[in-house]
Amino acid sequence: MSGIQDFRQNPPQGFKFPSWDRVLIYPCALFIVCWSVGPFLWQMSTSIQPDRELMSPTPHFFPYPITFEHFVNIFVGKSFHRYLTNSAIVTVTTTLICLLFGSIAAFALARLDIRGRFGILGFILGVSMFPQIAIVAPLYVLASNLGWLDTYRILIVIYLALGLPLVVWVLFGYFRSIPQTIDEAARIDGARPMTIFFRIILPMSLPAVVTTGLLCFIASWNEFMFALAFTSDINHQTVPVGIANFTGVHYVPWGDIAAASVVVTLPLVIMVLIFQQHIISGLTGGAVKE
Amino acid sequence: MAIAKVQSHETTLKPRKIPFNLWRPGPLVLLLPALASIGAVSIYPVLLGLWLSFRDTTLSSPTDTFIGLGNYFQLFSDSQFWNAWIHTIQFTTASTLLETLLGLMIALVLSERFRGRGIVRAAMLVPWAIPTVVTSKMFGWLFDGQNGVINYLLRSLGLIQHNVDWYGSPDFALGTIIIADVWKTTPFMALLLLAGLQTIPDSLAEASVIDGASAWQHFWHIRLPLLTPTLLIASMFRALDAFRIFDLVYVLTGGGPADSTEVLSTFTYKHLFSALQFGYGSALSTVMFITEIVIAVAFGVFLLRKMREIGQ
Amino acid sequence: MHKTAQYSKAAPRQRTLDQDLRSDKEEISPNQKPEDSIHRRDFIKRTGLAFAGVAAASTFLPSVRRGMAAGTNPTEITFSSAKFFGKETIAEVVDAYNSSQNKIHVTYKELPPPSSSTEVHQGLVQQLARRNGDPDVFTQDIIWIAEFAAAKWALPLDEHFNAEVMKEYFPGVVQACTWQGKLTALPWFIDSGMLYYRKDLLDELGAKAPETWGELIDSAKKLISAGKAKFGFLWQAKQAEVLVCDLVSFVGSNGGSILGPDGKTVSIADDAAVEAVQLMHDLIKKDQITPEDVLSWDEEPSRGPFTGGEAAYLRNWSYVWKISQDKANSSVVDKVGVVPLPHFPNKKSAACLGGYQYGVNASSKNKEAAIEFVRWMSSPETQLRFATQIGLCPTRSAVLDDPKIAQEQPFMQQLKPVFIGAIGRPVTPKYPQVTLVLQSEVSRALTSGNVKAALQTAKDKIQAIVKT
Repeated sequence: MSGIQDFRQNPPQGFKFPSWDRVLIYPCALFIVCWSVGPFLWQMSTSIQPDRELMSPTPHFFPYPITFEHFVNIFVGKSFHRYLTNSAIVTVTTTLICLLFGSIAAFALARLDIRGRFGILGFILGVSMFPQIAIVAPLYVLASNLGWLDTYRILIVIYLALGLPLVVWVLFGYFRSIPQTIDEAARIDGARPMTIFFRIILPMSLPAVVTTGLLCFIASWNEFMFALAFTSDINHQTVPVGIANFTGVHYVPWGDIAAASVVVTLPLVIMVLIFQQHIISGLTGGAVKE
Repeated sequence: MAIAKVQSHETTLKPRKIPFNLWRPGPLVLLLPALASIGAVSIYPVLLGLWLSFRDTTLSSPTDTFIGLGNYFQLFSDSQFWNAWIHTIQFTTASTLLETLLGLMIALVLSERFRGRGIVRAAMLVPWAIPTVVTSKMFGWLFDGQNGVINYLLRSLGLIQHNVDWYGSPDFALGTIIIADVWKTTPFMALLLLAGLQTIPDSLAEASVIDGASAWQHFWHIRLPLLTPTLLIASMFRALDAFRIFDLVYVLTGGGPADSTEVLSTFTYKHLFSALQFGYGSALSTVMFITEIVIAVAFGVFLLRKMREIGQ
Repeated sequence: MHKTAQYSKAAPRQRTLDQDLRSDKEEISPNQKPEDSIHRRDFIKRTGLAFAGVAAASTFLPSVRRGMAAGTNPTEITFSSAKFFGKETIAEVVDAYNSSQNKIHVTYKELPPPSSSTEVHQGLVQQLARRNGDPDVFTQDIIWIAEFAAAKWALPLDEHFNAEVMKEYFPGVVQACTWQGKLTALPWFIDSGMLYYRKDLLDELGAKAPETWGELIDSAKKLISAGKAKFGFLWQAKQAEVLVCDLVSFVGSNGGSILGPDGKTVSIADDAAVEAVQLMHDLIKKDQITPEDVLSWDEEPSRGPFTGGEAAYLRNWSYVWKISQDKANSSVVDKVGVVPLPHFPNKKSAACLGGYQYGVNASSKNKEAAIEFVRWMSSPETQLRFATQIGLCPTRSAVLDDPKIAQEQPFMQQLKPVFIGAIGRPVTPKYPQVTLVLQSEVSRALTSGNVKAALQTAKDKIQAIVKT
């Protein structure tokens, strides 16, 4: 097969298949881009069209005339940057704590001798399955008794609990897949478990950590129900609540909403572009290959 | 865990655990932060929910007595509950399956090396990055029965003669919501599976190319089995999440027309939040909880079996 | 509008328990907001350096409050309301009250906007159910009045506002504010469903605005077949509260009702109601002047095509007027008229009454102050302010005639006849449950066409709910 030749010349780093199979890659990639970004582009186009065009009978994809009034509206008229700041604070804190707590727990469950590990995993998963709409009300009462309404704290604590099960489970899976021999070697060198974790396991699992961190980040970035119930002022409300607040009694300012969603999506896209290097490195490049 | 099999012909498996004594305070301390965070937020509401489900508490009226299983009996004879239950199961099954398949395809493409891969990876995540509140409204417009872009496209392609009333007809509404959900959450699956694929060593691909295996054979016999645990964990989280579908339905159809898109979350929400029937609503959420546990256990059993198969 | 924010910083503490309200109120003063927020940001920034990062730091910071010695000791009360905004916010109006006198100081706590009305309702009920007197004053959607009154959360106001005083308000609103003979709410603003029509299109036909459904159907059909309009008549049938609003106006326009005046007899399966729902169904399926899409439409999706110039008629609330006259938003500027909704032959038009009204917490510890505050909020001057600044239509007849309104919000006066004819939705403390049944069964009637059976089911279910 001609592919072998090709393969030999390009040593694996994200494995490359024989060329006749690769022809399909570009159409597939194109499809993925269209499918994913299509509606978003439409959203972008909406965000720079004047309101009246948005209501016209035939939808235009290409905006004419172009206006930036919606962006002006949301930042000048609606102080959107303040919601962004709140969201950033809550989300970044949540993600970092979540990764820290979650990866340590996953490490303990995957690599240390813990009896009943599946029981604990089951518990972690179990409590998170109670319908979220049913826990809003009791938590609201609890939070108000603590005086935690309208704080970043309450959102972070809740998002932490919502995000941890996924982080623990996914990282548990990855940590299990790292050969045990590595620990043993380190242990012989006299390393303690936490050293093993921070020096060896964590760096090796970077793609998994980045991936789960990303998932966790987006989940708390987008959460709406708790944010709506627990915050009532612009000092603490997050972006989704801010967007919902655009709506008056009935009127939905669609252009402004589109502009806002473009603004909140872009940082995430940029973040993915930055981190995607880390998603591919790590395990594949590293120690797994004996 | 995916690696386990790979290893089994190289090293002895049956991993030796790091013994207790190396870590003085004991490994449970490591679990404490995570368990405490989860427990602080979950345990009280869950117990309260269970307790309320045996009472006829309605916030706006003075009634508040213990009625045993009364709420559950009422629930089992409530045709609207079963209607919502069936829709929820249909939705969960369809969306999880579609998302897993599509997510797998995307992950496979993105794990290949090609020019512009970074861009495609970032692009793929866009749907998931848009707040659900916005997605719901956006799909409302895209699939609008009159001026929606989807109808416009389908008509210009000649696939349909007349506009389809996506949300207004009981026949299409649930399907449309499934499409919206698939669009929105496939990136979640794809990303997890992509990370899973990364753990499969290139040496295996190398080997199969040398053996003359086609890409398909390589996928079917080597990558898929190794990916199974990740696949199961990811689809379990997806299924559990899909089971709780709320925003899309609430914003797009409100459960209508004629209850044709009513799912358990919207149904519970209406009883808990609109009617403030905390007793009945809690019984509903408890039943949701139990169904979720069943789903999780099913996945769990399957997962354990797979892990053993691979591991030993 | 974002100044509102700082007020609510007081809220968490007050919610903890009201005993130490004293200590709180001296720390917070509305006049202080700007410095406070700047200070706060600064503070976070500086402290951030000491911690690992800005993000982590602010988590653990207690809300920053600055002490300020208040000169006098005014009575402190709290006020919760859904968020409305226009040129001014509610917070600014409350602020105006605080600076207008020094006996009472009101802390405003903002609830979500009325578009999240379920959350507003739930948040309010949760607070009221604790009966700890917080908030002292609240605003309620007109459909919650019976519920709040029956639960004895709302203080009866008869002794403070006698019948003579109440004559200054529209009678329909006063009736809606009354539960079992007692006035438990004080009117704030009114809204109602109405018929928007295209003057230009009807002129071409030589027709005038329809008074009966028959006239509406005829003219709509003509306009559609002449290609003048894509849609005849748009309304809302999404399985949500708005469907009940539409239902009330259709049923009411045939002299029918959903519940009898006693709140116990269910009349939704009576002939008048069945006929009306049949009409709703026929508009879609038989006459085809209404697209099937309305089954998933609430206010905005139905408003779009109308202001986009595609529809001849639209049922909607008063908010549409302003949009329809806004060149940036509408292609039908100056081509729109508003009239009360049509009715069945020899019957009267009926519009669904909406709006938020004031209530005083029955457990309030400062009832006198609370009543003083609502008296001011509902006074002609304040109503005028809400009308001109936020666009909320006054409930006082005299205020609606004020020349300032003619200048600022001319449409309001044109709508006066509509507001006067508006009727309430079913009055029962179980309304939240009743409306769910109605939404589900009427939606079923409209999709299946089996009107009678669906309404009979609705009747049975509602009877089971209201009889207890």
